[in-house]
Amino acid sequence: MRWTFLGFVLLVAACSPTVAVDVDPPPPTTADEVTRLLEESTLPVVLNVWASWCVPCRSEAPLLSKASLRYEGEVRMIGLNVRDTQGGAAAFISEFYLDAAIEHLADSDGFIPIGLGGSRGVPLTFFYRPGGELSFLHYGVIDERTLALQIDELANG
Amino acid sequence: MEFTLLGSAAIAVATLYAMLYWEARHGNADRCAGNLFDTALTAAAVGVFIGRLVAMAFDGVNPITHPADILLVRAGVSTIGATLGALAVFAWPARRELIPMADGVAAAALAGLAGWHAGCITRDACLGTASDLPWAVAQEGSQITRHPVALYAALLFAIAAVGLALWKAYGRPGLGVPASAALAAAGAIRLATEPMQPSISGGPVWFYGIGIVVGLAGMVWFTRARGIETRNE
Repeated sequence: MRWTFLGFVLLVAACSPTVAVDVDPPPPTTADEVTRLLEESTLPVVLNVWASWCVPCRSEAPLLSKASLRYEGEVRMIGLNVRDTQGGAAAFISEFYLDAAIEHLADSDGFIPIGLGGSRGVPLTFFYRPGGELSFLHYGVIDERTLALQIDELANG
Repeated sequence: MEFTLLGSAAIAVATLYAMLYWEARHGNADRCAGNLFDTALTAAAVGVFIGRLVAMAFDGVNPITHPADILLVRAGVSTIGATLGALAVFAWPARRELIPMADGVAAAALAGLAGWHAGCITRDACLGTASDLPWAVAQEGSQITRHPVALYAALLFAIAAVGLALWKAYGRPGLGVPASAALAAAGAIRLATEPMQPSISGGPVWFYGIGIVVGLAGMVWFTRARGIETRNE
């Protein structure tokens, strides 16, 4: 029993992510820039608000990364990093979003999501139709079914 | 937000218990109802835990360095890990009379799954792929009508659970046959509803197929074993 447990712990420990690669921190943005980006987008936009210190953001990051590759070219995915350090944000991108088709922007004050109709809490996921009309806003960790359903709404709505 | 998941879990536990309560009077031995409930509940809870660990491992998130992530079950639970974990955990305490206990919990497990899927109402997660059928429904503010796929699954699981419970009570199937039938039914229902579920990577359809094959093989094997026993008597 003891060896089984030790074996399980070693197996789980082996699942650690690979060594972090240095990436640039996300560039700072403003509320006007984000609004313009949403209005001018010809594709539906999924805007995910995250922070490296946020445990639930870590939980949903692999799903968002997978979704960005699955819907690349059909949906534009944007990550808005809020109230974070540059180092923390860069390390998070390096850990989860290195291969993902997600553009990241930074909002150090964290007021942009409130201006868009959200809240100070993270994570948040906004779903926008082309032209910037809000289709759906999800508070908290997003699950696979909800993400797939809302993207389908954007793609076929 | 996670309270909506707890709501679904509570409905699943209630339907599991209700079926065991009914079966204690109509099919199962009286004394085993409480024992079955405890074992099934433990197996389900540990199964979810193992399923979450497997999902985290595949996502590259280390549960040892990020233990708080384990609690965020909404971020993903591996169906295969959860199912195999629950079966293994059930088999350990029930090892002395595994087949009778598996038969005892078979209909209740299907009822619990029916409750879990019906709990989609508490977490606003009933809708699936687009459909023009008359009973298809649209989410608020949308023109696209969709299959209420989780309710289909709930209904099918409920029919299977009630059918199996009645068969156990009045049909007297052989030892091991109800558990095998429940496995085949669960696999078939998930296989039938999975294509209607919204999904990023697709569900483990092959795993449901294996469940059907193993369940049907078990039904044939246990039925034949009973036939041989009857002839020998």
